[in-house]
Amino acid sequence: MKRGLAILAVLVVVASVATAAPLRIFMNPKFTGLSYFQRCALGAGDAAKLLGVQFTYTGSEQPDVQLQVQALENIVSQKADAIICSAIDLNASAPPLRTARSKGIKVVTYDADSAVDSRDFFCNQMDYESAARAELDCALLDSPEGGEIAFIAATPTSPNHMAHFNIASQLVKTDPKYKSLKIVALQFDNDDEAQSVQVATNLMQAFPKLKVIISSATPTVPGACRAIEELGKQGQVFATGVALPSTIKQYLKDGSQKAFFIWDPYWLGYMSMYVAKDAVDGTLKAVPGSKVDCGKAGQFVVGKDGEIVYGKALFFTPENIDQYNF
Amino acid sequence: MKDTFVGDLLKPKALGNPTAMRQTFAEYRWEFVIAVMLVLAAVWATTLSPYYLSLDQLLFSSRNLVFTGIMTLGLAFIILTGEMDLSLPSILAVCTVSLAKASQANLPLPVALAGITVIALMMSAFNGFLVAKLRLPALPVTLGTMGAYRGVAFIIGSNVGYTGFNNTYKWLGTATVGTSPLPVMLLVLVGCVAIFWVLMHYTTFGRRCFAIGNNSAAVTYSGINVARTKIGTYMLGGLTAAMGAWIFIGQFGSSRGDNANGVLLGMITAVVLGGVDINGGRGKVLGVLLSMLFIWTLRNGMGLANIAGPIEQLIIGVLLVTGVLVSNLTTRGNWRPRTRKKVIAGPSAP
Repeated sequence: MKRGLAILAVLVVVASVATAAPLRIFMNPKFTGLSYFQRCALGAGDAAKLLGVQFTYTGSEQPDVQLQVQALENIVSQKADAIICSAIDLNASAPPLRTARSKGIKVVTYDADSAVDSRDFFCNQMDYESAARAELDCALLDSPEGGEIAFIAATPTSPNHMAHFNIASQLVKTDPKYKSLKIVALQFDNDDEAQSVQVATNLMQAFPKLKVIISSATPTVPGACRAIEELGKQGQVFATGVALPSTIKQYLKDGSQKAFFIWDPYWLGYMSMYVAKDAVDGTLKAVPGSKVDCGKAGQFVVGKDGEIVYGKALFFTPENIDQYNF
Repeated sequence: MKDTFVGDLLKPKALGNPTAMRQTFAEYRWEFVIAVMLVLAAVWATTLSPYYLSLDQLLFSSRNLVFTGIMTLGLAFIILTGEMDLSLPSILAVCTVSLAKASQANLPLPVALAGITVIALMMSAFNGFLVAKLRLPALPVTLGTMGAYRGVAFIIGSNVGYTGFNNTYKWLGTATVGTSPLPVMLLVLVGCVAIFWVLMHYTTFGRRCFAIGNNSAAVTYSGINVARTKIGTYMLGGLTAAMGAWIFIGQFGSSRGDNANGVLLGMITAVVLGGVDINGGRGKVLGVLLSMLFIWTLRNGMGLANIAGPIEQLIIGVLLVTGVLVSNLTTRGNWRPRTRKKVIAGPSAP
């Protein structure tokens, strides 16, 4: 009897020590060097400290699918409890995430989704239609009379960029508000700022009547602004889309640009950490309508296919740009 | 400079014979050093991460060795003859996107494989023709074909990529032996190492490659067709690229024009660090295998410890420079005396 109690006591202690070990959650961006992803990681890190989670930010410094696959496989080998990942390619980045799920690791995508069966939840910064509308609204702010517009995306398989472009193409045809806009081109720059300058220059030279260049990629928008400046087309051609305020502040101030938008990546990262932890604890299920409390980031509701939309867009204009310092 | 000939196999064993043992150690000195470095790297990797030393992890991560490793073996042969081929990863990419096209057209796997074998052989034979027959310098020529073939891969594959391979196509890159964690492709790598080992050290073809790397003029004057042998090494390299492509699409489940875009540095480092003289004429498959394992161990350990990619690149680059440096120092007779007594043709007297 006494021996049985002693063994029971030891088991209880061991069990409590085991469950007291902090959760290990890894964040893997498309590539580590981009300030947008670093800010997401800042948010995720702060949330991790509050939640008592051990947080590691890791990945390759180039947006290469093979390197992301290897980074994800390394995370799986380190027996993570959860992975928070921004996928470079909807399908090509999915296999190691599926492997992770098969080993009981929870997978939460953020910023850029991967195949639905390869992740438990997707923290979408803005639902695709709102983002596409925001881009077109900024284009109308730039050029109220409408005109030719062109899009620059990272690659033809970047999930969010292409979704925005496809919906924008639809809206331009169907929504009377946008009928003055005409999409003339879609080009790619692999999330590389230097390449975006080149691509934007090519677009302006190929389409002399081009009015607005739009991109959902944060490295691309400042690059396009710079291209406009270099060709001396301020006021004739505008660039807009998703950009960190610090990267386009100078263009709003000098009057060459009028409007941009973004969601604060800090809160996107913050939210994804809460979602990941709740997924590991089992308190959050991918059932549409489930509520998730993400602390200071806010409260959200799970939608279809495990998608949770953050949805709080910030619009930047010359009047309000000084309020933001990220 | 001592290579192993078939005749040596018939000699009495060296064990118990101190002079012969010393000669064997001297002969394998480079490989011994790499083996020691491999063990040290494994120890370092174990200290870097508690997840390293697990059979499951090692087998899982060994998959990263395979497609690059097979191409490295092919590259070793080319460098052995004193030439170079920078275009192997580009040929692999052309093969992966061609497999994508074959998969889209629902071609049966054997047909698709035959197709990429032909494509790879043609591309590498073209390299061989330019270098061996037209006597153009290998470095700029294969640098050019590296770019050209990469362009072809992008044209065929575009930057959309293809992820619709069926399970038959992907089999080699995903299968394990029964229910064990042993990947089938690791066995393929082992098989290739064995085949290349025999090819390089126990066949006439291998002997000719050593000879050409040492003194290509003398070989020509002795009546051997140097160009044909060199083109053979290039085509062998093409075959390794085709094999690598088949494994690649299974391993990653996708193909795109930029596949295998960053593996060249690691490949050349593995060959040079493996003891193959960058100017040709010297080297062993054992050395290349050990240095491949060494680089893999370093990468695996650093990856599990979440060490950033640029640092990995830095280390691999330093290893390459060190390999070339040490290799050059030894051939200038500072440490290892060159034994000129071995003649190229014929087995030695008993």
